[in-house]
Amino acid sequence: MYRGREGQWAFYLHRISGLGILVFLMLHVANISSAMWGPEVSNALMKFYHQPVFQVGLLFLIAGVLYHGFNGLRIILMDFTSWGVRYQRQLWYGVWVLFVVFYLPFLIKIGGGILGGGHGD
Amino acid sequence: MAIKSRRYEEAKLEASTNLELYWWVFMRISGVVLVFLLIGHMWMNAILTDLNTINYDYVAKRLSQTTWKLYDLLILALGLLHGANGLRYVLDDWIRDPMKRFWTKAVLYSLIAFLFLLGSLSLLNHDFGVK
Repeated sequence: MYRGREGQWAFYLHRISGLGILVFLMLHVANISSAMWGPEVSNALMKFYHQPVFQVGLLFLIAGVLYHGFNGLRIILMDFTSWGVRYQRQLWYGVWVLFVVFYLPFLIKIGGGILGGGHGD
Repeated sequence: MAIKSRRYEEAKLEASTNLELYWWVFMRISGVVLVFLLIGHMWMNAILTDLNTINYDYVAKRLSQTTWKLYDLLILALGLLHGANGLRYVLDDWIRDPMKRFWTKAVLYSLIAFLFLLGSLSLLNHDFGVK
């Protein structure tokens, strides 16, 4: 099925990013749900997550979501078009082009925030 | 077993059960929807908003609007289902021992079900229609 090279990388990155996103989603739901215990609990938790180390984590998460999403579109093209499988490698490069275009604004905004020390309250 | 085919026609032949084929189709449909929902979600909260200013008031205000309640509920439901099924593919691949696989699935699916309950409860728990 996957014979090394780009296809193999595409597959492993899809898996790892998928698992990473699921772990984040579970933490994220727990964090947002803390509002049910009132503003004090919720604000304390959010302040904790505003630390730079979690902002770096967020940059990884956004990278994971964008890659997983665009590579998922590549998989769908391979599934439902007659030419998708033939051009899977070119499509993978297309995934990275889209990735860079969408990732840059996040990198600049969040990365700038981390370096600028604008974190915390 | 998870379907490994790269084409819909092949997937139909390979599917061990109808349910397995439905999951295969669900992954693709929910995937496309989630790409758009999540780029919107991330753009709104990380680009249009300064992440570091997000606090209880910000969340409460946004989630008091019904549209965002539904938007987030859709992400929650599709994301957890898509994630749970993706996790199933991974566990079927990685855990060979049937007993270990069963218990890992039992624990993780329960956790995901609990988070769906917690998440939807908290979304609906916010005020309605506050400007």
